Amino acid sequence: MSAHPPAAAAHGASTAITTQAIQPGLSAEQLLAKLAHFNPERDPRDRWGLTVIVPASRLREVVRHLRDDAELRFGMLLDVVGIDYLAFPDHRGARYAVTYPLKSVAYRHRVTLKVWVEEEDAKVPSLHDLFKSADWAERETWDQYGIVFIGHPNLKRLLNHHEFVGHPLRKDYPCQKRQKLSTNDPMVDQLEAQLKRRGYTVVERGEAHNGVPISAVGSVPLGDRTTATVKTSGGAGAVGAGAPATTGAAGAAPAGTVAGAKS
Amino acid sequence: MKVLTPAGEPLDLMTVNVGPSHPATHGTLRIFAALDGETIVASALEMGYLHRGFEKMVEQGTYSMVLPYTDRLNYCSAMMNNIGFCKAVEKMFGVEVPERCIIVRVILSELSRIIDHMVCTCTNLVDLGALTNFWYFFNTREEVYKIWEKLCGARLTNTVTRIGGMYRDVYPDFASDVAGVLLKIESAVKEVRGLIEKNKIFIDRTRDVGVVSAADAISWGWTGPCLRASGVDRDLRKDEPYYGYDQYQFDTVIGTTGDTFDRIMVRIYEMIESVSICRQALGKLKPGPINTTDARLSLPSRDQVYHDMEALINSFKLVYEGVRPPAGECYDATEAANGELGFLIVSDGGTNPYRIKVRPPCFTQYAAYGAMIEGGMLADVAASLGSINIIAGELDR
Repeated sequence: MSAHPPAAAAHGASTAITTQAIQPGLSAEQLLAKLAHFNPERDPRDRWGLTVIVPASRLREVVRHLRDDAELRFGMLLDVVGIDYLAFPDHRGARYAVTYPLKSVAYRHRVTLKVWVEEEDAKVPSLHDLFKSADWAERETWDQYGIVFIGHPNLKRLLNHHEFVGHPLRKDYPCQKRQKLSTNDPMVDQLEAQLKRRGYTVVERGEAHNGVPISAVGSVPLGDRTTATVKTSGGAGAVGAGAPATTGAAGAAPAGTVAGAKS
Repeated sequence: MKVLTPAGEPLDLMTVNVGPSHPATHGTLRIFAALDGETIVASALEMGYLHRGFEKMVEQGTYSMVLPYTDRLNYCSAMMNNIGFCKAVEKMFGVEVPERCIIVRVILSELSRIIDHMVCTCTNLVDLGALTNFWYFFNTREEVYKIWEKLCGARLTNTVTRIGGMYRDVYPDFASDVAGVLLKIESAVKEVRGLIEKNKIFIDRTRDVGVVSAADAISWGWTGPCLRASGVDRDLRKDEPYYGYDQYQFDTVIGTTGDTFDRIMVRIYEMIESVSICRQALGKLKPGPINTTDARLSLPSRDQVYHDMEALINSFKLVYEGVRPPAGECYDATEAANGELGFLIVSDGGTNPYRIKVRPPCFTQYAAYGAMIEGGMLADVAASLGSINIIAGELDR
């Protein structure tokens, strides 16, 4: 039997609960003073909290300092937020910004870092190795804004479909624009990357569940897939008619359709 | 899939998809896993099936038009999203809502927290085969929904707050209804605790399953009950008190191991704390105005509109254009049922939000889920997933 007491034991026992009470944090001025050697520039747009503008080249350095300094200990990266200033009235300067709200688990203070990102060179260093939460948050920002996070191990779309074209939260992406998206992401590449990260070597890719070789999945252009699905989903008669198309689209079509085409 | 293990031995792995449409995923999530026997060697996660472009949609309308969308973030506790968003906008205006509004919001928040925890824990238990708890909690949750119906007519998506106040004041018997439902909640929690707390099957299925250490939980950006289950005593209601939470007597509940057992137990005990907060809040509920009188936010009374030209213009502008927060960028967070629910609002001084970023608490929890299940058994996938309470509405936005 496991030795640890249930959570219930901690409940109500004031010793367990109060030992880690949060410490008073530093004020905005004190935080700026602590960052003095980075020449911090306070963003006047954030009138309610503290937002510090840092150049992309020093971002990792500043973040590491914020995380590791004994008086700061900003241990938690809450989010990675992209902002597109294209339509912002009277905005001058870089088109994008990436902001990083950070908070401390030890002290009662927060800070938001902000990096300006030029449209022509939309790149920011990745923080995935400093905070685990950065991995997906950066993927989302890449997905929505097309900002590249240099060094990110798996910069794939996160919220939008893997066939999606463009970056929808950019201000010049039309709200009403529609895209036809059809096939599931096979995600074999992601799984293999994860296996490698855990020390395994992939020798043979094997088969997907519907008998389709994994290498064929997702390799067919969108147009062919749509045609094949339409032609073959009409029943027995349609399968024959659609046979030439299905050979190329085997990976994309649903399992039932593939079986029909084979027979 | 043929692989070589880290030790160099050949191994045949089976790949399997859990989801996206699986009853235990409680939403559309996909886990693509490589199995060695029943052990998960590696996994890849997919989300976004419920992505509907929340953050794009909210840029198209006024601030008031954002409110119904926030209902659909965490739909198990929709009111807390309403409150979180309104609080953020009110912070930008520098407006403090009236005392009665604050108390009502606290009561609604805590009741929402209770029903959210109920849904989370009892569906988690159903996944483990413990169906009886489901009836205890869902019947009680229904009682809370009856209050919601009386309060605003809606059950799941309430849109009950307004920027600067509430949709309307609570109905006359609200306090006695809440007091009555609190007794039922206590009784339901007692029944469920009796069924599971010393239940060997439950303990064997949940102890040391999906363990997340305190350091990992912090690095993953976990907040709320899941972080507390890992033994980190952090709760925004205590750490950065808002709405007078520092004047309520309640304990934060923390776990010791950060396993599935702790996460379920933390939620169950938090319900009791929320019941206590509700009772204290009911005692503080005094008659008074429910909406702020700040003309930038609240509609003037009909009487003023009919007799005063400025009030008429004000009413017209507020209805047709909406509120205009001062230009700037503001991050504000509340302790929602699942953790820190943050809204980063960028205003250009106009009537439409320039940019709203939601920080959904379960986003960071789901990001860690792959690491939680790797090395564990396939059968534990459902147990772990239920305990981190993924709500696809706020996860995918």
